[in-house]
Amino acid sequence: MSLVEIKNLKVHYPIRSGFWNRITDEVPAVDGISFNIEAGETYGLVGESGSGKSTTGKSVVGLEKVTSGQILYNGHDITRRNNRRKLDYNHDVQMIFQDSLSSLNPRKRIEDIIAEPLRNFEHLSKQDEKLRVLQLLDIVGLDADALYKYPHQFSGGQRQRIGVARAVATNPKLIIADEPVSALDLSVQAQVLNFMKKIQRDFGISYLFISHDLGVVRHMCTNLAIMNRGRLVEIGTCDDIYNHPLHIYTKRLLAAIPRTDVSQRAAHRASRLAVEEIYREQQDKYYDDNGRAYPLVAVSPTHQVALPPDIAQQLAHQESEADV
Amino acid sequence: MAENFNRNTNVSANDLARLSQEAEAEATPSSARIVWDEFKADKPAMVALVIVVGFILFVMIASLFINTPKMMQTNIMAYFDRPGTDGMWLGADSAGRSVAKQLIVGSRNSIGIAIGLTVISSTFGICWGLISGYFNGYIDWGMQRVYDFMMMLPMTMMIIVLVTIIPHYNAITLTLIFSIFYWEGTSRLIRSRTLAESEKDYVAASKTSGTSNFKIIFREIMPNISSLIIVDTTLSFAENIGVETGLSYLGFGLPTQTPSLGTMIANANDPNNITQYWWTWLPAALEIIILCLSISYIGQVIRRAADASQRQGAGD
Repeated sequence: MSLVEIKNLKVHYPIRSGFWNRITDEVPAVDGISFNIEAGETYGLVGESGSGKSTTGKSVVGLEKVTSGQILYNGHDITRRNNRRKLDYNHDVQMIFQDSLSSLNPRKRIEDIIAEPLRNFEHLSKQDEKLRVLQLLDIVGLDADALYKYPHQFSGGQRQRIGVARAVATNPKLIIADEPVSALDLSVQAQVLNFMKKIQRDFGISYLFISHDLGVVRHMCTNLAIMNRGRLVEIGTCDDIYNHPLHIYTKRLLAAIPRTDVSQRAAHRASRLAVEEIYREQQDKYYDDNGRAYPLVAVSPTHQVALPPDIAQQLAHQESEADV
Repeated sequence: MAENFNRNTNVSANDLARLSQEAEAEATPSSARIVWDEFKADKPAMVALVIVVGFILFVMIASLFINTPKMMQTNIMAYFDRPGTDGMWLGADSAGRSVAKQLIVGSRNSIGIAIGLTVISSTFGICWGLISGYFNGYIDWGMQRVYDFMMMLPMTMMIIVLVTIIPHYNAITLTLIFSIFYWEGTSRLIRSRTLAESEKDYVAASKTSGTSNFKIIFREIMPNISSLIIVDTTLSFAENIGVETGLSYLGFGLPTQTPSLGTMIANANDPNNITQYWWTWLPAALEIIILCLSISYIGQVIRRAADASQRQGAGD
């Protein structure tokens, strides 16, 4: 059984208007998505801004009110607050936030910040608690003198590590990493990502890794899902997505990865323009009449794409021929 | 669970004492230390602090040695004594009562009411605003309608009516009556900041860490809007001295046999007093001006201390 199963999850935000301030319309931020996260793996969730990735992540950790659908954790539906409380759900599922500064309370010392989940879930003695915080600081590569400082005294990379230390504090099973490195510069990104991987190995944690940076996701993930306009457009292993993309949206995302190969600049530009050209001509083929992505259909045991079945088969066929 | 952590780090229980000591040495100074440094860096505020603390202590202690009923007795022989005559440093009023002694007892009454009123109304207003802003939705809607209703009542008129209805009122009941009406501005101000603050990620992080709502409100959000709370409280303290004074001036404050800054300033109602007997009202007026100015200086310093980017004092 998977660690977390998300079934037909929907999060709609109401739009209120008129004299009585009634709900007149809805924004479907997440519109019926399903995927499973296995224990110990890193699951990537990729998409452009506003595609609903963060909303999905927040729903999984229990911060967002779910409109309909289920999120099963060990067979319990944790979209209901009562179930979350009964399971001590957040003992097992934690979150790393994108903005490292605003996710740490500026008025609290590092010790209190990292110890917060411990105080709520584990009730250790003062000595044990301090020891655990020092161990956590050591694990994320910070010195003990950080203990009584405030968040603004640290650099962005250090702050994000404090955020990771807090998330790891209760030894959770799953960590939602909501764009954990997008606010950091490239050298620090690599640092943070590598020790996130190290922690994963040491503690056997699963990540739901939310990002818009396909390069980073490739470094981190085994399976990933591509999200667009609140729907999943493609699910597969790293190999499926990077080497055999079927949906036009995935192709566009991949084409947008910057390349450092300057001598091939003209060729890269041409291939990007070609993808854009296909998108402009064949847009209707990939989305239904309302502009929504189609339901997912499987083209291989690991690979699913949101297309009408006949087109999906046809594209998959073309793709495998091109491979040979 | 604990083994899992022990396995992956070199830090063990033996290092605890040494590491805590290291951390202690690098610790950021305590908030009391920061406030004090800030006062040292701002001379006018230091003077203001000495004036306010010294004055409040002086009137609280000195008034214990004054026999108020005896002081308030009419003494026709001292009718409008000039300052310095008959052993009265600040002269006497139309009933021959010592202005200096009235000033001491009156200050104690007025400041006491202002402190009581500030404590009660600010505490209530802050709690109301925090809870209303944090929970949002129906709770916010309900609490804001109560606020609107209170806001709609004409405040001064209601206080005057209540004071007239209640047969035996003293400083404490007067403070309570004021408190019913003076929490509103604070609550709206705090609510608006809480609305913005509760959207921030650290609140979400606290929720996922399993912290209860009330702990988040009072231990996470409240410290983060403390600079606003301090500024608002100091300003409303300065204002609250004026509230009692204003009402006593109109004749609806403390009973006539209880001296207060307001009743003393009411001496200025008489044109004769303004032109010839200035000592009956000027000391009280000056005192209020100096007190209110000093308090706002102190408030500014505390606000700077609460906001790391505005600090002028030594420190980190």
